[in-house]
Amino acid sequence: MRVPLSWLRDYVDVQLAPEQLAERLTLLGMEVRTVEAWGAGWEGVVVGQLLAVERHPRADRLSLTRVDVGSGEPLEIVCGATNIAAGQRVPVALPGAVLPGNRRIERTEKMGVVSNGMLCSGDELDLTGDADGILILPVEARIGAPLAELYGDTVLDVDVKPNRGDALCMIGLAREVSAVTGAPVRFPATDPPESTDRIEDHLQVEVEEPVLCPRFVGRWVSGVQIGPAPERIQRRLIAAGQRPVSNVVDVSNYVMLELGKPIHTFDAAAVRGGRIIVRLARAGERLETLDHVIRELEPETLLIADPSGPLGIAGVMGGATSEISDATTGVIVESAIFDPVSIRRTAFRYALRSEASLRFEKGQEHRLARLGADRTARLIAEWAGGRVATGVVDTNPTEPAPARLAFRPARVNRLLGVELPTAEQRDLLARVGVPTDVAPAGTRIAVSSEPMPLEVEAGGAETLIATIPSWRRDLAIEADVAEEVVRVRGYDVVPAILPHTPMPHYRHSPLRLRHMVRETLAGAGLTEAVTFALVSPTLVERFGPSDDPPVPGEGEAGGRPVTVTNPLSSQHSVMRQSLLGSLLEVVSTNLRQDRLDVAIFEIGKGYGATDEDDSTHEWWRLAFALTGAAEIPAWNRPPRPYDLDDAKGVIELLARRLGLPGPNYVALTDDPRLHPGRAARVTAGDGLAGRVGSLHPGLLDDLELRAADVVVAELAIAGLSGGQPSSPRSVTPSRHPAVDRDLAVIVADSRPAAEVEATIRRHGGPLLRSVVLFDIYRGRPLGDREKSLAFRLAFQAEDRTLTENDLDGAIEAVTRGLAADVGGHLRT
Amino acid sequence: MDLADLTRELETLRADALAAIAGAPDSATLEALELDVLGKKGRLTTVLRGIGALPPDDRPKVGAVANAVRGAIESALAERGAEVRSTELAARLAAEAVDVTTPGRPVRRGTLHPSIEAMREIAEIFEQFGFVTYESPEIEDDRTNFQMLNIPPDHPARDLWDTLYVDVEGKLLRTHTSPGQIRVMQAERPPIRALLPGRCFRYEAVDASHASEFFQVEGLMIDEGTTMADLKGLLDQFAKAMFGADKRTRFRPGYYPFTEPSVAFDVECLVCGGSGCPACGRSGWMTILGAGMVHPVVLQYGGLDPERYQGFAFGMGPERIKMLKHGITDLRLFLENDLRFLEQFR
Ligand SMILES: [Zn+2]
Repeated sequence: MRVPLSWLRDYVDVQLAPEQLAERLTLLGMEVRTVEAWGAGWEGVVVGQLLAVERHPRADRLSLTRVDVGSGEPLEIVCGATNIAAGQRVPVALPGAVLPGNRRIERTEKMGVVSNGMLCSGDELDLTGDADGILILPVEARIGAPLAELYGDTVLDVDVKPNRGDALCMIGLAREVSAVTGAPVRFPATDPPESTDRIEDHLQVEVEEPVLCPRFVGRWVSGVQIGPAPERIQRRLIAAGQRPVSNVVDVSNYVMLELGKPIHTFDAAAVRGGRIIVRLARAGERLETLDHVIRELEPETLLIADPSGPLGIAGVMGGATSEISDATTGVIVESAIFDPVSIRRTAFRYALRSEASLRFEKGQEHRLARLGADRTARLIAEWAGGRVATGVVDTNPTEPAPARLAFRPARVNRLLGVELPTAEQRDLLARVGVPTDVAPAGTRIAVSSEPMPLEVEAGGAETLIATIPSWRRDLAIEADVAEEVVRVRGYDVVPAILPHTPMPHYRHSPLRLRHMVRETLAGAGLTEAVTFALVSPTLVERFGPSDDPPVPGEGEAGGRPVTVTNPLSSQHSVMRQSLLGSLLEVVSTNLRQDRLDVAIFEIGKGYGATDEDDSTHEWWRLAFALTGAAEIPAWNRPPRPYDLDDAKGVIELLARRLGLPGPNYVALTDDPRLHPGRAARVTAGDGLAGRVGSLHPGLLDDLELRAADVVVAELAIAGLSGGQPSSPRSVTPSRHPAVDRDLAVIVADSRPAAEVEATIRRHGGPLLRSVVLFDIYRGRPLGDREKSLAFRLAFQAEDRTLTENDLDGAIEAVTRGLAADVGGHLRT
Repeated sequence: MDLADLTRELETLRADALAAIAGAPDSATLEALELDVLGKKGRLTTVLRGIGALPPDDRPKVGAVANAVRGAIESALAERGAEVRSTELAARLAAEAVDVTTPGRPVRRGTLHPSIEAMREIAEIFEQFGFVTYESPEIEDDRTNFQMLNIPPDHPARDLWDTLYVDVEGKLLRTHTSPGQIRVMQAERPPIRALLPGRCFRYEAVDASHASEFFQVEGLMIDEGTTMADLKGLLDQFAKAMFGADKRTRFRPGYYPFTEPSVAFDVECLVCGGSGCPACGRSGWMTILGAGMVHPVVLQYGGLDPERYQGFAFGMGPERIKMLKHGITDLRLFLENDLRFLEQFR
């Protein structure tokens, strides 16, 4: 809410400097976002007096003026306006001036005459809505004075929170200033001068929906003359962010900003029979709204209508037919209260949220209906002439009794952790217009509100009862009183202490294993990325959930994709089901920035829905992507690109870090995203499952990835979603040395090395400790479809040093096993 | 051969050997000399083979001479050996010298994402005060995300959270981590000291200070006597731990439907130190987070009696913490994953 200080001062004295006031309001909960010097946009604009206004020698429609700007020599200025005359004081933009909208004024030649600046209209200065005539300044304006001296102002931009609809107006903020300074609030006079006309003869109002429109107050004004509002008012409206329109329309905007009461005015001539009906829309009804859009009305829409049809959407937007126009002479003033929820729904339904609907949504003070109608009629009479008919149409004149709210000062203190004496609490509440009394015995205290109301007996504790001002709809429970007390007192009263209440039980952080994985990967050279969970439909289609074996305790990928129904863009409209697509986008953007190598990982979620029970589920995964140089290129080693083995190495490192058995790979040939000859399903015991592989060259092209090879993996890991790392069982190392034996096994080239290794382990006997593949050889003297796999076997006993003889049996068994199981024989 | 011959031969051997040793250029020559003169089949042994032909009386005499010769050669070898080795070592060291000013063989080290690291740092601070971590779903139901947090349907306060809805009945993408408060209250009994970090979503056009996806860390503490003073004390400790022990902090009124009273928590501007500058809007303060005493409606939805239990909740943006701490000016950097940005962290 924009608050020109000059306007605010109509209702409360302000002695504080603007910055101080801003600080105090902020500390009171009315956060001042900016303090704007209004008129800072009039650099080089001064007050001038017109000495002469003559016809331009060469152009009939231009005048040649001589203007005294207080600098000695008068200036010759060419002007196109017709409302000027010698003797008037006007704003003069001197050469070099900069007007609002960053418009620079220079010395120019106009039809053969040099113009030394420009006379300004109110519109050019953002002061009034008048763009045709030059702004005529008061005669007392000092010649040569900067315009800012005359019309400059300070505008506070106040962030009024949604619960304080009452403060969305000058009066509301004046009350807050009053709470700060103690200066009294001056409520403006509202009574209009009334004529001998009687409203009953002109206006009838019938409310068919009293729940949706609890009160409707109407006024009737005749004989108005439509024209501009007083310049002073236009200046205020513009500073507050409202464009002036005409005197009558400006009145309703002015009253809304002044009292917080949205007002609607109708051209009385367009309201058939002076009869207004507040009713719901009927099927098939249409209305052209003020913005000249013809709208199909939905049946839940509350309308202001006359006997012939809709006049406007109640509280949201008026209709075009009854709009105030230059020809209007009779005005019907509507100052009504509407159901906040209904207004909010309607405003959203028609996408017509406005300053007015915003205020209705927050709930309106009942008595404002009458005050607003009166004030509007008064100002119309003042600014547009006209006679105000005597009386009002008021569908619900009974003012509700003020709400009463009981509270325990001790409970206020207990909530805040302070010890404010009861008397001080009462004083603080009085400053915001909340008087208090000692509560009668048996008063019940509202501890909680709808939809979970709870009332308790005071139980002997000292209890006060506060009378809530009608405008404070936000004060409903005891805790609200606590807030009121502390915000008026200032939060510096609350001490900063450390808790001395009991501690909760120990709980492992569910993030422990995730952090362990992150640290391990960072140590292995991978950088952590965090990408959007919402991705494009294309990406979800391409990178669906993987059907990897389940990992105990971890969510399984699957279900249909979850789609956002109101996305900001299609690029972020579907919840992803795999991290791979997102990571490849990161690879792509970084490659495009001429990055040669990218090694990244992300621990993130996939999401899916099951339609049978409207359930959704989320699953944690680790994914990584590697491309480019596997080691930082350096002068002291040859370059080497990342390949599948690097990815597998990373997985093996993780398995080791997490205490999982060495990973097991099985060729994966049917994942369309991956190279069919360079992809594997990977499992490590039941603690890790997923897939690893080179990206399919076709996909590499589709994604326009500028890389020869990108290796990726996506893994489910036990504990990623909140489990704990396991702790290893320690084994005392044998005191007897291990004996190595190297075996070169010749097998068919198509035989997976993992099968050969498993065969060796299976037949190696109890003393076999480790099997490590250390070389693969193809070529002569081997056959075309053969390869030799060289393994180093280590044997060790706990109780003795092994001799060569001890190994013979094991090697023999291994040899037989290789022949039988994998068709292999030893190379000799 | 008689005694004199033998003695002479030994002396000759000594003279030859000593000359050769003195002239030996390197340790390999010395080793060869040693073998040649003193080895099992060396010249000394060969000379002494003649000793058997001497009369027994002469034999000790020759033995004495031979020992003296062996002693002299051995000590010459040792002496010359030390000289030669020292020369050779010097030569080797000179030959092995490298330009030590060249850069080393680089070891790749990845970096950890600042959003996640911020959440970890936040948790580390609060863990010291007994806070434990929980997580809750990102696809939430409207009831937990809003209604149970005292934000009924069609309430104006919903304007504070522009929401992304999904095609599952009653579900939305959580707009904040606050629904986790309800889940923790329902799962635990006081005393509760909980942290809830995680990803949140908003229907928000993206710019330098707004994101449609971001992280939040929720805090919740509930017991019979938990007050706003505890909240202030903990947050003050947090700010000092995160931004420096000399930083002043303050509370000012705020508004959230799920807390009452509600506060905004400010720390003195990290740029100007409180004197006012563009970074802090000339106020001298920077807002770090919002907080307040848990609203009784929320406590009741959590299954707690608001007459008995009270407590506070706070919510902060880890990205904002990082922005303030590291002088990052554009929120978009956190999800762009430009390695040139990410690699600045550790
Ligand atoms: Zn600053």
